Amino acid sequence: SSHEHKLNFKKSKEACLSYIQDALLQKQWKRAAEFLTCYVESLEKDYSREHIGPSEKIWRIGTEILWHHSQSSMKEFNCFMEQMKTLGVKRYLKVCLEHVFHLLCNGQIDEAYQNLSLAESWRFGEQTALQDKEMKLIQAYRGLLDYYSWSKQKNILLEHAEDGFSDLAVEQEMHGYFRKAAVNLKEIIKIPGIWDVFVKCYVDLLEFYGDHNEACQVLNEYAYNSKFPANPNAHVYLYQFLKRQGESKKSLVSALKILHDIVPSHELMIDFNTMLQKSKKRKKRRLGLEVIFAALDYAGWKENAKAWSCLARQVKQIVISEKHLDWIKQEWNSRKDWWPAFHFSRYLAKRNWQENKSLSYEKALVAGILLGKDCKYFKYVSHQGCKAQLKRFRMMKKFVNRHNPVYLRISG
Amino acid sequence: MEFPAALFPSFFGAGPPREEGGPSPVAGWGEHGQVLEGGPGRRQVQPAFVPRRGATGERWEAAEAAAVPVLLPSAGCWIPSPAPQDILYRSGQCRKLRTGKSGATLDFARQLGHFFVDHPEDAFGSLGRLLHKNFYLGNSKLKVTVSRNSTIRMTALVEDIDRLEARRGCPRQHLASRLRWFSHLCRDWLFEVPLGLLADCLHEELMLQWSSLLFDDSLTGGALAWLPPEDGGTPMGRLVHPGGQAMNHLYFQDVVLEELPRARGSPAQFELSGRVRQVAAARVDGQDFVGVRSDYHCGVWRVPGRTGAAPTPLQVIRTDMPASCLTVSPHLPGELSVCTQSGTVYLWSVETGLQQLRHDPQTMFFRDHSPWRWSDFTAHPRVLSCADRTGLQCLDARAPKRCHFDLFKVGEEAGCQQGERVVLPMYLGRAHPSQYLVTTQFSVYVLDERLPLVPILKWAHMMKAPPLFADLMPGNPGRSHKVLLGASRTQELLLLQYRDSFWGVSLGGSQSACQLAGTPQKLHSITGCLQHLPTQLPHRHHLLQQRLAAPAAGLAATLQEDGPHKSMLIFQLSEAGDVFCQRLTHKAAQPPAPPSRDEATTAPGSSPLFEAPANSPQGLGAAALRYRRWLRALSRACREPPQHTWPPSLSQRRLFTRRDLEGPAGPSSLQRQMRQRLRQTMQEGGCIQHWEPLVPQPPPLPQTLEPSGGPDPLSARLTAAWAGDWEQWWEERTSFSVAQRQRALRERRRRQKRAQGRRSLSASFTSSLTYQSELSELSDTGPPRLSPGRPPILSQEGSPPAASPPVRSPPTSPAPDEALLSSQSLRCRGIPKERRKTLRDYLSVWAEGPPEPPEPPGSQASQLCIPSSQSQ
Repeated sequence: SSHEHKLNFKKSKEACLSYIQDALLQKQWKRAAEFLTCYVESLEKDYSREHIGPSEKIWRIGTEILWHHSQSSMKEFNCFMEQMKTLGVKRYLKVCLEHVFHLLCNGQIDEAYQNLSLAESWRFGEQTALQDKEMKLIQAYRGLLDYYSWSKQKNILLEHAEDGFSDLAVEQEMHGYFRKAAVNLKEIIKIPGIWDVFVKCYVDLLEFYGDHNEACQVLNEYAYNSKFPANPNAHVYLYQFLKRQGESKKSLVSALKILHDIVPSHELMIDFNTMLQKSKKRKKRRLGLEVIFAALDYAGWKENAKAWSCLARQVKQIVISEKHLDWIKQEWNSRKDWWPAFHFSRYLAKRNWQENKSLSYEKALVAGILLGKDCKYFKYVSHQGCKAQLKRFRMMKKFVNRHNPVYLRISG
Repeated sequence: MEFPAALFPSFFGAGPPREEGGPSPVAGWGEHGQVLEGGPGRRQVQPAFVPRRGATGERWEAAEAAAVPVLLPSAGCWIPSPAPQDILYRSGQCRKLRTGKSGATLDFARQLGHFFVDHPEDAFGSLGRLLHKNFYLGNSKLKVTVSRNSTIRMTALVEDIDRLEARRGCPRQHLASRLRWFSHLCRDWLFEVPLGLLADCLHEELMLQWSSLLFDDSLTGGALAWLPPEDGGTPMGRLVHPGGQAMNHLYFQDVVLEELPRARGSPAQFELSGRVRQVAAARVDGQDFVGVRSDYHCGVWRVPGRTGAAPTPLQVIRTDMPASCLTVSPHLPGELSVCTQSGTVYLWSVETGLQQLRHDPQTMFFRDHSPWRWSDFTAHPRVLSCADRTGLQCLDARAPKRCHFDLFKVGEEAGCQQGERVVLPMYLGRAHPSQYLVTTQFSVYVLDERLPLVPILKWAHMMKAPPLFADLMPGNPGRSHKVLLGASRTQELLLLQYRDSFWGVSLGGSQSACQLAGTPQKLHSITGCLQHLPTQLPHRHHLLQQRLAAPAAGLAATLQEDGPHKSMLIFQLSEAGDVFCQRLTHKAAQPPAPPSRDEATTAPGSSPLFEAPANSPQGLGAAALRYRRWLRALSRACREPPQHTWPPSLSQRRLFTRRDLEGPAGPSSLQRQMRQRLRQTMQEGGCIQHWEPLVPQPPPLPQTLEPSGGPDPLSARLTAAWAGDWEQWWEERTSFSVAQRQRALRERRRRQKRAQGRRSLSASFTSSLTYQSELSELSDTGPPRLSPGRPPILSQEGSPPAASPPVRSPPTSPAPDEALLSSQSLRCRGIPKERRKTLRDYLSVWAEGPPEPPEPPGSQASQLCIPSSQSQ
């Protein structure tokens, strides 16, 4: 009966698919390809109601095989992709996009551009939300490639300018690329998402043409629009832009303050701390101490000598001036139950001493001040340092011994 | 650690997942996802792009054809956990019900019956004592005595019950009226335990058992840990694994990493008071801390880093609700996090005790019924992640109520599918301090704490069962990190590689967006070695198969660098307590080798494991020797095979009337001959292959369609196909006209009718011989039609195909076989009384055939109809 036939067909289809899957997972591309030629039959009678239909399956499997098969060529790949595009109308844009990605990764930028232009002009019935997104991406990537062409023309023009002559045709072409790129890039960065590459390119374009207001607005929107994810890079780009524009310290600090609130472990926190330490305002120096303490809470910063030296310098300054010891006390309060085991264990003293002497110096200084001269870390490192007759370790020991009462005030 | 300068583009949306879908076997293939500009030279002539997925990865190849046992099986046989057929109803009528999409039918009555049989004292104790004078169980008639009025004879009732049990699965099953009457009369007062309450509890337990059969999340995290050797040092590490019959022993076993890892010395052993569900380990300050979770107890051990140091137990906690998670802090010594099924998360410090961080029986982002909770550490030693099936949140242990943020949500933010649920979160601190792995039943995600909610990597893993276990092998800067995913029931193992810097340290590389490198790779599962093992006796094979197919219970992996040779060792633990290991060797970057080679070595069917390698002097590889030892130990440990559950046998006693049981006057000459032959063969200790009667004048055989003496059509067809001239055979066969065949059939039926009167032994056997060929002929012509006059046959050759249930059509006249079976005829054939029942049971078992096993959950066990062979 036809029902039985359907069932059998389905069964053998599934079996074939599982063989293909097995071969793919074991990197047996040739075997997978042989099975796939049988699986193509499933296109003929498609009774399935799965969300990934046989045509998409064939596209996915075929692509994977052609990526890895030792005898496949780019020409064959392109040919396969063209066939796949006509096979499933619903997935046309997706397949186009993936085809473009593959061309881009293989350095075939021009072919990729052609494909993008072709895909952009494709229309079929009403677009679904997914297709809408895919179309936006296609336009954005075309904008990106336009940007690269623009940047190429710009470099040529700059070289020519150095040689002292101008080329009107090249300049015209460059402006043309600018317009094409700007339109598409501007579109995509309005939609919530992560568009680091597109934003960077768009801002570069705007900056070149002197439209700083627009650039600033774009970056502010990208960083502060609540519909966008909390992307640290958005704040980094804004900070870098402000720095390039020579904006005031205040606006730089406020940009970094927000980054600190989102990602206390960001690598820019060292810059932030140095900036704040230099400040004359007490409040900012206080913030600086907070920032560096918070950064050193994270496992990724454990062995960052630069960060430890920032902390050591600031703590030393405070101890010498004997003002604002309460700052240290407050920071230390929430950390005193776990920093000793996390940073200042005897095991770490040994290892830091073996691996990085200057790191162990900075850490020992901080440990000596925060935990007193009897702290294991300080004792071990200062002992080793004195044994090795290193002057600065002896100085450190003296400094800590002299200021030992500070420890009592901090911990008390 | 720097944040990548640019991330791969992606859309961001909020809200519940929009994408419909479900598991798809190919969703992870053929996609680059996105591309990003990134290459060694900035702004060269042309920008260089890298894909999110599809970049080249490292080549790792399996060194052996199968996983190899590391440890010998422990003494005492393993008790398998309940299988679907143990708790599902297996009656034929209920199977019809079940196909009607009503879900699984739990065999509630049988379990309750088990309780009554196993605990009769608890169930009927006092009433039984009260009533035992009034119940008479003897065979003889009740004498007319004083007690006559107050005593009933129960024998018939007991017989009814026995028969009921025997008729399980019989399509014409119906309750005897006497039983119905009895149960109606006394179901309210007979039981000691309130029946409603007991039934409620039992039903709840059955539902629990069934759901844990479908998906058992108590194993999440896995119960196997590898403690690597301290840097440099000898290539020796430690395996921490559970063992024993109830998996309640914890072993710390030293293992030397050679070509094949080898156990050294006897393990340190601890007996625990519950089944070990999870073993977690982390190294802090050169010491390993090992956390062990059972249902109601969690413990922590410290293992000093130097080799040979004994592990010390530090602390044990007891929980009121089953614990669902235990993870060990990689930052601070002696810190762990514990979750219980009541939705409580604790930070457990050996020094300061337990600190409750959260208590919320509800799930975080949307409502989900699962009580499973998980918790792990993050880049900040005071910030813990806590997870349920709907997502992950991070909370600060110093102010858990105020300071928290969402790390992962099953929703549009991460591009999840509808119905997707978190299966296992894992902190990837050893690869990158702020990265996190989250697996769901469909996909695997890598997250960065610094960019919450948006996965920096997503890939559909296409595994058949949700990945409950994962392990990480961090790569050096510039090399890829390796993640292993493991499933429990299907024993799947999948190796993934991902990278977070594209162009290496040598080129001034910095952090870059995460990308998946290479293709995912399937590794050997434990059960995969079965095909390579030497042929076993059938029952031994079955035992071995059951043992090797036990669900996986944990995995651990380690990288081993021995000069230029890099290899990867992957340990897999099964629920039976077996630890198997496989080695993968790294192939330096080279143009993809001709595929024919690596495909040949792993082609199914070939078993290079037990072939003598050319360079081995012993003749067999180390792996083969390992197997041999393991098999020997296994057969010693499980000497007593588990009791086979025989298919229920039908008692013949009530099936025949007295007249049926009256046998023929005496044995015929043929029967005598047969008996003689049987005796002779028994004396010689041989076996009878064919019951070809050696009589000089055999009774006329019913004529078959094929020329007599020739093979049956199936064999003929197979022989022809084997020889390659199948087409010709078909031609010949079709020319054998249909009309002719019909005539022959009709002829035969007439003869059979005529021959029915003969009650000779040979007739039953010859007709059973023709049975197969007849069936295959009929199936050639069309739907099989049963000849009405043909007597049902107790076939000598295994179970008859399902086309003719022997019980359905009662014989119109006594069949020859029944004559054989009747006790009188047995007696008059000289078979002693005590043997008669055995023989009858034996024959009735053959007649019924083994019961059809129910389908395991979730898998379509295709039932192959294998024609039984004619000879044993």
